[in-house]
Order: sequence, then C-alpha cells, then structure tokens
Amino acid sequence: MIEAIDRGAGSNRSSGAKSLIALRGVSRIHDGGAIAALRNVDLQIREGDCVAVVGASGSGKSSLVNILCGIDYPTSGHVIWQGRPIRKKKDWVWLRRLRIGIVFQEFNLIPTLTVLENVELALLGRGMSAKHRYTRAGMVLGRVGLDHRPHHLVTRLSGGERQRVAIARAIVSEPKLLLADEPTGNLDSASAEKIADLLFDLREMTGMTLILVTHDDALAARCTRQIRLRDGTVVEDTLRALISGSIGAKSKI
Amino acid sequence: MNLVSLALRNLKRRPVRTCLSVLGIALAVGSALALTALSRSIQDSTREGMDEIGGDLVVMQKGASDIFGGFIPEATVERIAAIPGVTRVSGALVAFAPGRTGNNVLTFGWPDKSDLWKKIPLREGRVPAAGERHVAVPGDTAAASLGKKLNDELVLFGETFRVVGIAGYASTVNRGLVLVPLVDLQEASYRPRQVTIAQVSVENNGDRTELARMRGEIEALGNVVAAAPSEVLDHDRNFAILEAVSLAIVVVALGMSALNVLTALVLATQERTREIGIFAAIGWSSGRIMKSIVIEGMLMCVIGCSLGVLLSFLAAHAFPRLPTIGNLTSFRPSVGLIAPVIGAAFVLCVLGALLPAWRAVRMLPAEALRRM
Repeated sequence: MIEAIDRGAGSNRSSGAKSLIALRGVSRIHDGGAIAALRNVDLQIREGDCVAVVGASGSGKSSLVNILCGIDYPTSGHVIWQGRPIRKKKDWVWLRRLRIGIVFQEFNLIPTLTVLENVELALLGRGMSAKHRYTRAGMVLGRVGLDHRPHHLVTRLSGGERQRVAIARAIVSEPKLLLADEPTGNLDSASAEKIADLLFDLREMTGMTLILVTHDDALAARCTRQIRLRDGTVVEDTLRALISGSIGAKSKI
Repeated sequence: MNLVSLALRNLKRRPVRTCLSVLGIALAVGSALALTALSRSIQDSTREGMDEIGGDLVVMQKGASDIFGGFIPEATVERIAAIPGVTRVSGALVAFAPGRTGNNVLTFGWPDKSDLWKKIPLREGRVPAAGERHVAVPGDTAAASLGKKLNDELVLFGETFRVVGIAGYASTVNRGLVLVPLVDLQEASYRPRQVTIAQVSVENNGDRTELARMRGEIEALGNVVAAAPSEVLDHDRNFAILEAVSLAIVVVALGMSALNVLTALVLATQERTREIGIFAAIGWSSGRIMKSIVIEGMLMCVIGCSLGVLLSFLAAHAFPRLPTIGNLTSFRPSVGLIAPVIGAAFVLCVLGALLPAWRAVRMLPAEALRRM
C-alpha cells in the first residue's frame, strides 16, 4: 500500500516534470488559534526542482518544511506525494526512511555516536546487514568529504563537518527529496559556502529535488525557483510567475 | 552498530543514574530471591529431616495449626502400634527448648525403646542406654553452635543434660537438633504422657492402596491425621504464613525494581526527547523507537538481575548465622527458585520501560526536536 504511494505518478502537472510533493489548502495553527504558522498554502514541487524558501523570521518557513516531511501535521488541508494524499503516520515514516532526507540548522546529530554511526542510524531497520550498512555509510561519507574521520565522535567536529555528517545521513537512503532547513545558518561564511556547494553538487549528481530554507538571498539565487513566505502565506513563487508568463520577473501573487 | 549497542552507549552516558537504577533492581531481585529461598529452605529442610529420620507416615493431632503445634497421648501411639500392618511406631515430643543463653534449640524426645535411636548416624560417642536419663545427642551443627563436645553439659528448659554422642545427619534441620530421652523432655516441658508426632513404618510401604488403608485406620482412632512425610507441611499454617509474608515482600521488592526502571527511563527519555525526535525525523518507526527504549530497560534489568542473584548467594551465606532459625535453613539455588523471580523482574522492567517509550512516540517529531 505504501509502495503504491511511491508508484503513483504525479497527476498534477504544471509543466513537463511530474509532481513530487504538493500542499493543498494547508494551514498550521498553534496555541488554539492564537498563532497561524501557515495559512491556506497551496504549493506544488516537481521532481528535480531546486527550490529556495525565503522569508523573514516567523514567516512560516520551518513550519512549511516540517509539514513537507511529515514531522508536523497540518491543522487543515493535506499533503500529496506523487499524486496521493499522505494521511497516515506510517506512510510518513516510510517516506522519511526511504524518500525524504532532512538537514537541520542545528545538525541534530547523536552526540554519543561517531560520524559513521550517525550516518548508519538512518539505515537501521531496513533489513541491511551490518557490513552493508557500514560500507554504504562509508561510501556516502566519501561523497561529502568526511571519509578520513569516520570513527571520530561528532562532538569533536567543527560546525561545517557536523553539517556534512548531517547531509550524509540525509542522503544515505538516496532520497528523492532533500529538505534543508537553514543548513548554513550556524556556520561561518567559508563553511557555509562549502556546505552550499556540497548541496548543489549532490543535487546535480543525483537529480534529487532540493528544498532549501534560507535567509541568504545569494544562496536562494542559486536555486531555480524561489518561494517567499510572509505571515504564513506564499507571497511570491517564481514558478507561478513563469507559468503566468512573467519570466524573469519577481511576480507577486 | 545496532539497537543493543546504542542502548549500551546511552546507559554509559549517564553512569551514576544507570548504576543507581541497576543497584535498585539488584537489591530488589536479591532480596526477593533471599526471602523466597529462606521460606522454601525452612520447608525443604524440615521435609528432608523427616525423610531422613524415617517412617512411612507421620501422625499428628487433627486440626493442629502446624506440625509442632498439636499433641497426642502416648496411648494413641500404642493403639497405632496394634493396627495390623504397622511394623514400627515411635512417638516423638518436639519442642523449641530454651537453652542457657536464651536461644531456643529444636529438641526431639524419643522413647527409650524407639528404633529411631539405632538409626542415628553417630559421628562421635553413643546413643543413650535403656533407662539412662538426662543425656543428649545433639546434631553436629547444634553442638558446634552451642559450643558443646562429648561429656559437656547443656541446659534445656532449665534441666541439665550430658552430651553422650554427636549425630552426623545429612539434612540441615537434623544437624541442628538435639535428641533427648522422651520422658526427660515430657517432664521438662510439662507434657507428661504426650507426644507431638508419631512416626509409623508399615508393611508394603510402596503400595499406595495399602498406605491409604493404613491412613484410614489410623485416623479412625480419632482426633489424629496421618500423612506421608512429604505432605505433612502442606497444610502447616506457620509455613503458609511464612510463604504469604515472603510473597508479599517479594511483590513489593519487585514492584520497587519496576519503579526504579520506570523512573530511570522516564528521566532518560525526557532528557533524550530531542534524540527521539531525530530518530523519528530520519524515518524510525514508533515501534523501533519504543524497542530501543525497552532494550535499554532490559539491559538494566539483565545487569541488575545478575547482580541480584549474586547478592542472594551472599545473603544465603549469612542465613546460617541468623539466631533461632539459622540451623534450620540452607540456600540451594535452583532454576525453579531463580527463574520465576527473574521472569517477574523482566516482565515488570519491560512494563516499566513501555510507559516512557509510549510517551516518547506520541510526541510530534517537530515538537521533540524543539526541546533542548
């Protein structure tokens, strides 16, 4: 049944690419209605998209990402993966295990584990042998440039290195969608640039869809599509502008 | 890396809390085992003692609250001897006799002519001669604990007895008792012409039908019951109370250990809320997250139970030093004794771990990740 979610082709097509994930009328209300993190958001992300989500603090960027990966649920509306609505918790678990990778601003690594073990964590429970997990995690660490420190505790790494570990953990399952919530927010500018380069290189190599939440306009400009949020509402989407014909312009919705 | 190694790392990460929790489980399991062993060993030792002394049936007063709590007249013993098929019968008066220092000594009084005197495995000395008065044959443990050797004097019920022999019985109870002539014990304990039990040997003792018939005939004499030595303690109220008290303490002790695990894991899970959020964010199912927490509880339980068994063995060595009952107990570890206690501890620990695990997976991952 879950696999059927994955097999189902995105029925909503706004261009040649298939729809990977979409939001339909999604709102997220906190504190019994006092705070509206998202208000009636409609959004469609296509396979292979490279999307920057921008906006001021409190505009709803992180809420959007949380709902896109199912670690938070909408108060109303629903999320659609490849044309099928995702409503069950177990479907979200399956998607996060196999199809969606997440990179956080705070890295969110397990401090008692080594670099390699943190990456291996994402492979536990997938029926892989310990040797296979070890090899796979080591290979991915090579892709993010950390194959020389696999057995170091993550607490001994620099911020940039920790974020590389987090990226390795997120891509070790070869996800279709990589969500990066302010991945450079806790890094110095040199490290931030390297991490950004790494993310774009990985996307280039694998063709996965990338959704990047950032405050950094320069970083956002490297994405092919920008979505701007204000007060929980999408106020600007360059894809819509493209569809509506105003190519190159920052069209407001 | 797997869930077990992950759980071990988490335990090592909080060494003080882990040690205290494990110690709590160990004490609970150790005391549960020690109490159960204490209760069972007194019963087992008494049974073995009865078997060792011999006899196919034990006769005692009907309705007596415990094996030593009733009295039957010596005349009844003589009537039992007259029943066809009875080959031998010996009355015995049993008493916890106060010694010189105030400690009670389990004392058996046997008639002069009883065959039981002849069956004593003597280590030293001799048995009392016919008609010899105020002489005693203590078991080797009793002699050692009283500090008596051959020809020493010992005081029971204020009367002085001379040690003429030392018995070398195998069972713990018999090694701790003192044997004296029946008439001396009757006088000293103000129980003239009374005995506590009668030990009966019958013809064809392997024949159940014959034994049942004999029981019927003995009980028809009135106000007495006859039972096989192994069944005598089944309706003993003292042992029933001892078992009930032990069980209650065991339940409380094991409940405390479950609370220890629960507290340790609730605190650990609260501290690790963010980690649990991370597990959920990378695609761990609720079942897997719960399993990782329960494994942590089970690891504490394994270590705690191992330590607990060790503690119970240490406690078992201390049992013989207990006043009054020290000579009656022996701790013999067996699967039948240890398995139920460990099993109960495991079930309680798993239940104790399930609550924090369930609470952990109910939380939204995004909410868990916001926690510090």
